[in-house]
Amino acid sequence: MIDFILPLFGRFHPILVHLPIGILAFGIILVFLSKKGSTQYLESIRLAFLLGGVAAVFSSISGFLQYQNEGFSWDTVQFHLIFGWATVLASFWLYYEAKKSTSFPEKFKLKSSGLFALMLFTGHLGGNITHGEEYLIEVLPPELQSLLGFEKEPEKGLVLPEQGWEQLAYYDQVIQPIINQNCKSCHNPKNLKGELDLTSYEALIKGGEDGSILTSGNADQSALYSRLILPKDDEDHMPPKEKRQPEKEAIELIKAWVELGGNTSSKLGDANIKMEILEPFFHRMEKPFYPEISVEKVSDESMAQLKSEGFFAELTSENSNWLTVSCINFQDFKDQNWTLLNPIKNQLVYLDLSGTQITDQILDSLQTLPNLTVLKLNRTAISGSKLEGLNSLKHLKHLYINKTQIETDGIKSLDNHPSLEKVFAYDTPISEAEMKENFSFYLEIGNYKLPALPTDTIEY
Amino acid sequence: MKQVENLINELTQQKLERQTRRHFLMDCVSKMGGLALAPLMFGCESGIQKKPSGLNLSERDLNPLAPLPPPFGGKAKSIIYLHMAGAPSQLELFDFKPELAKYHNQPCPESLLEGRKFAFIRGVPNLLGPQANFAQHGESGAWVSDFLPHFSKVVDEVSFLKAVHTDQFNHGPAQLFMQTGSPRLGRPSLGSWVTYGLGTENQNLPGFVVLTSGGKTPDAGKSVWGSGFLPSVYQGVQCRSKGDPVLYLKDPEGMSRDMKKNIISTINKVNKEEFDAYGDPEILARINQYEMAYRMQIEVPEVMNINDEPEYIHDLYGTKPGTESFANNCLLARKLVEKGVRFVQLYDWGWDTHGTDHDGSIDMGLRNKCREIDRPMSALLLDLKQRGLLEDTLVVWGGEFGRTPMQENREGKTQSFLGRDHHGDAFTMWMAGGGIKKGASYGLTDDFGFSGIGEQVSVHDIHATILHLMGFDHEQFTYEFQGRPFRLTDVEGELIRNILA
Repeated sequence: MIDFILPLFGRFHPILVHLPIGILAFGIILVFLSKKGSTQYLESIRLAFLLGGVAAVFSSISGFLQYQNEGFSWDTVQFHLIFGWATVLASFWLYYEAKKSTSFPEKFKLKSSGLFALMLFTGHLGGNITHGEEYLIEVLPPELQSLLGFEKEPEKGLVLPEQGWEQLAYYDQVIQPIINQNCKSCHNPKNLKGELDLTSYEALIKGGEDGSILTSGNADQSALYSRLILPKDDEDHMPPKEKRQPEKEAIELIKAWVELGGNTSSKLGDANIKMEILEPFFHRMEKPFYPEISVEKVSDESMAQLKSEGFFAELTSENSNWLTVSCINFQDFKDQNWTLLNPIKNQLVYLDLSGTQITDQILDSLQTLPNLTVLKLNRTAISGSKLEGLNSLKHLKHLYINKTQIETDGIKSLDNHPSLEKVFAYDTPISEAEMKENFSFYLEIGNYKLPALPTDTIEY
Repeated sequence: MKQVENLINELTQQKLERQTRRHFLMDCVSKMGGLALAPLMFGCESGIQKKPSGLNLSERDLNPLAPLPPPFGGKAKSIIYLHMAGAPSQLELFDFKPELAKYHNQPCPESLLEGRKFAFIRGVPNLLGPQANFAQHGESGAWVSDFLPHFSKVVDEVSFLKAVHTDQFNHGPAQLFMQTGSPRLGRPSLGSWVTYGLGTENQNLPGFVVLTSGGKTPDAGKSVWGSGFLPSVYQGVQCRSKGDPVLYLKDPEGMSRDMKKNIISTINKVNKEEFDAYGDPEILARINQYEMAYRMQIEVPEVMNINDEPEYIHDLYGTKPGTESFANNCLLARKLVEKGVRFVQLYDWGWDTHGTDHDGSIDMGLRNKCREIDRPMSALLLDLKQRGLLEDTLVVWGGEFGRTPMQENREGKTQSFLGRDHHGDAFTMWMAGGGIKKGASYGLTDDFGFSGIGEQVSVHDIHATILHLMGFDHEQFTYEFQGRPFRLTDVEGELIRNILA
């Protein structure tokens, strides 16, 4: 026998399995359509269970061949295989039941339901092998997922301490975390793609179906590195292009490790690694600028509505639900127009009302924006008498009141605001005031001068 | 009467003759196709032509400058890029080399010249010591020479890149490289990429404005603000700081604003009918362009007018209305950014100090050029700062390359003025504002300031960093052209993390 026939037949398993499912399901439907005592469909039912059983034999054989040739572990496939053969036996048994009697067999509907359940369960196990166990869970809403107990932390990847990173074990504390984040999901004892297991150093050394993936001291000869740097469209590129790709710095770290010898005893400090390579992995507590709360996305209709009213409205970034709104193209904006902003109250984090027709009234409305972070009121008639209302905005960081008539007393009420970081009050009575006070926020009053110098007028 | 009738008949006849089989087939495509599509698009509500949502028109189809969210939420919303065309000498401004002074007028070591090509230097030139006096300034202790006395007071706002390198040593290609990421023609400029990616906030102004001073435009020509293979609507709009800001923007004599409005609304009505017939979004884009041009006629002259600025602002910048100067352009840049323009590109010509004449001498001409930019660019930083605009405006300063530590010896002769040749191994640029660290310095050069010896950055690295600050990943920000995706940074570019806040 030519040796490709068997693996090829094995690869037809995903197609073949649909035959018994279809045929048996048809038989089971006929069982349920049969009226009490009627043998109207019995002949067809017999045929369906016979053909279904034969088809199930073929798919079970092809499944077994696939298991033999494609690097699936016994742990993963065992129940699928057992239930597959159980389905074969059950179909033939039902065929026998239907064959031996001329009348409709006893409790036949119950037995058929049993076959149906068996088939469904076998199919489900098979699906789990092909698509992964989270295949159905993934699409559920997160709340439902956690209810089902499927809450899973994604692999965090490599995180380096800023102090003492030189002493980290290069394999265990650097390479393995990179592998865990980028490779493990397909290369683990349960899912042995390419017969390769990357969950431990011992398994990594063993290599996969093409042999060793690590040649100590030679990164280009090591598939562990060389397949990462292939063009994304190359079919040998790893990880597959639709999967998360490792950072290029992570790839550099793998390369350096292989060239260092690719063993478990070296330390990260042993390799001559540039700081730029390590930079992305240092654990930095960078607080995001906008609130760390999740809000619903503003509907496309609301966005289109805002834009048609003349607002500049845009998301702060593609993956964010926060909104920036500016009246740069809507300078006639008045206090009464506020209602237009009501539908996006929760999402609004950056509001620029500079140059508009607003009055102090607007401050009552501004208080209803729970997440507002940047507020620009430049060149408006705001007087400052109601500015203390902004104290209720717990996320406000930057306030712009350039070229307004707000006085020092107006911003005094904002002293000790819980979040306010900067106030820009250039070209206001504040910037003219003699007395300079200290506030809990940084107050920019400008009035910068560049005094004339003798050299200003010297022509050389 | 008979004659008129004949004329009309003839006209009808002509019209009928022009109708050919091709017209019929063409109409089949649009009309029959439309018939078939209509129920698909508009459901059961036949008869009522809704807004053409079925065509899947995005806002961008109607208005190519419509804003888009940045993919990754950048720290900067707009950029002011100050390009000193001709390439200023880093050795007289920021890169202090006391060692070089010791070897002043001595022959350049052979090791520096081996395998090197220079634009004008031939044989073995003499070294030329720094012609400026340096001191450390601000809390950051940045080295700045006495050629830039005002700038030395704002150094704490700035991050210096002291070992930038480029592989071009002639102005045209080097300017193209610095502005488009390629020394050859055909690529979109930085400003075009940014405007393409983000659009513009102010719908009455162009998203990408170019202002020039120094009497000439850059050697590379207008391609340095061209849109390359991007749609031409993203190219820079050059505004003049003297006279009409945009040529032919004013209505011709005898044309009133009302008449213009009538013309445009009639043209747009015809275009609208055309769109209803053919559904081509290009037509809608054109309608939008006409309307924008009409609005621009009001807004551009207003924003380009610096006469209304208060006296102390003119004092700060050293501006004189009615002239073309770098100072005026700096003030305009602030006004434009304040008005929501995405990218303001300034070119100042006259930095090519070869030492062939007085104006091109390191000790005299260069000082004059420095005086012209020193106050304005320092004022620009302070003015942006006091208005809070520096929070989200990125300011970039630099030339297209640097200059040699050697005295130029054009054609092997001794020159009567002090001058330096083109040199791209290591030169200084600075950035400030949105997302940039304050008072940092990155990059080391050797004792002569000839080459970078650490923390070098390439032109691609600078582009990658600028795009990062605007909210892009330079590796993912691409445009499909000639069958492959193109990037500003081609296949290179690393983020310069050390100057990020």
